[in-house]
Amino acid sequence: MDALQRYYFNWDIIKDTVPLLLRTLPTVAELLALGLLFAFIWGLTLSLMRLSRFRVLRWFAVVYIDFFRGLPLLLLLIFIYSGLAIVGADTGIDALILPPTIAAVSAFAICYAAYSAEVFRAGIESIPKGQTEAARSLGMTYGQAMRYVILPQALKTVIPPLTNELVALIKDTSLASVISVPELLFRAKEKMGVVANPTPLTVAAVVYVVFTIPLIRLAARLERRQKQPRAGTQIPADMAAQLPKGGGLL
Amino acid sequence: MIRLMGVHKSFGDLEVLRGIDLHVVKSEVVVIIGPSGSGKSTMLRCMNALEPIQRGTILIEGVDITDPKTDVNKVREKIGMVFQSFNLFPHKTALENIMLAPLKVQKKPREQVEHIARELLAKVGLAEKADSYPDQLSGGQQQRVAIARALAMQPDMMLFDEVTSALDPELVAEVLNVMRDLALGGMTMVVVTHEMGFAREVGTRLIFMDGGSIVEEGDPREMIAHPQEERTKRFLGMVL
Ligand SMILES: Nc1ncnc2c1ncn2[C@@H]1O[C@H](COP(=O)(O)OP(=O)(O)OP(=O)(O)O)[C@@H](O)[C@H]1O
Ligand SMILES: [Mg+2]
Repeated sequence: MDALQRYYFNWDIIKDTVPLLLRTLPTVAELLALGLLFAFIWGLTLSLMRLSRFRVLRWFAVVYIDFFRGLPLLLLLIFIYSGLAIVGADTGIDALILPPTIAAVSAFAICYAAYSAEVFRAGIESIPKGQTEAARSLGMTYGQAMRYVILPQALKTVIPPLTNELVALIKDTSLASVISVPELLFRAKEKMGVVANPTPLTVAAVVYVVFTIPLIRLAARLERRQKQPRAGTQIPADMAAQLPKGGGLL
Repeated sequence: MIRLMGVHKSFGDLEVLRGIDLHVVKSEVVVIIGPSGSGKSTMLRCMNALEPIQRGTILIEGVDITDPKTDVNKVREKIGMVFQSFNLFPHKTALENIMLAPLKVQKKPREQVEHIARELLAKVGLAEKADSYPDQLSGGQQQRVAIARALAMQPDMMLFDEVTSALDPELVAEVLNVMRDLALGGMTMVVVTHEMGFAREVGTRLIFMDGGSIVEEGDPREMIAHPQEERTKRFLGMVL
């Protein structure tokens, strides 16, 4: 019992570590904010390409999405940071030598765009076809129907799954420690080495879950709320299929 | 106004329209009846190019909409369409539903559009529902908003696809009344419906479709009283 406390919940070390780790939060926030921003913009674009009537765009989106969903994020991260830097140093092309934060944001954006593209696509496809038809029959172009009718509804439905993506990325920001971005896990590991005690990891774990658990709960709640259909918006297909109900004016 | 010549339409191997010839002139109210699956909806959807056709020609006000060079969006502005399932935009209020297309497609000034929209809402008897969302409206009210939304584009003709079939019986009349007023106002209308009372009272022509073809057409009263074709007789016997 004593040992457990000494190694994992060592009070003196906790007191030191908490402020140290809290100071990394702006870095984590930066990775998250920029990573998600680019991931969502690029992911939405990919989803629209995926649904496009142009085969080349569709094909590109499918290959991109499958490839980056299948690729370990850590590998991509190391490739963008070290893999490019080695070539940069060798050839003298300095532009290939990226600061670690930029390398991390790029890797997150590239991979999370692929994940979120599937979320956006599902959201767009969940909007009944009648909505597009109503919009088109009013003379709207495909683009106008998307922009004013489909996307505003689709974006609402994707908030819960995108919240889950946010949770996943919060956890994945810790991968950036491998390329020495001074974020939460990096500092915790550093401290662990200095004090030769794993308590800093405990503190880091607490900090992660303090942020992730409320978001997980929130996503679940939003999802549940969306499942309750609001009365009267759409007619179920079986009812729409019902036929002649003659005689209104007879 | 609307002219179909030898229109053939298939979904894969299934031939749904087998050579339709139809000419609708200004201010006509053409009522289309027929059994389920006879191709009524498909024909209506072809008329504003929601479905491509395999063979034949469709002219809307003289413009060939099957010509790939035709801007179908422009043609659709001239054709209002109302659906069985309303298809109101759920994220917009009744007023916003009506205003969206005139604002974004016709790019008219907001004040003018809002004025027109409020007038149309009053015309369909829903002036006080301007700020309600679709899920706060009854089916009949939603359908009347959908009609107003189509009218806001100031179309020259209106297509109605079983617009009362999804409604409770007591809500049917309020929608049919709006349609009757439209017809009396001289609107050119193609109406797929099973409301034989409406056909008799408002229709200027009745068309019976079966198996992707027009089987019989004529004056509604005359045809309902004395159908010529065996299939028409059988169908009318079922719905009357
Ligand atoms: N998108 C589609 N893909 C494949 N088949 C279709 C499609 N739309 C309609 N069909 C088929 O075309 C045929 C005609 O359909 P349509 O909806 O035009 O009939 P309808 O006369 O309007 O029938 P209802 O009275 O049931 O509305 C049906 O057999 C239907 O299954
Ligand atoms: Mg139909």
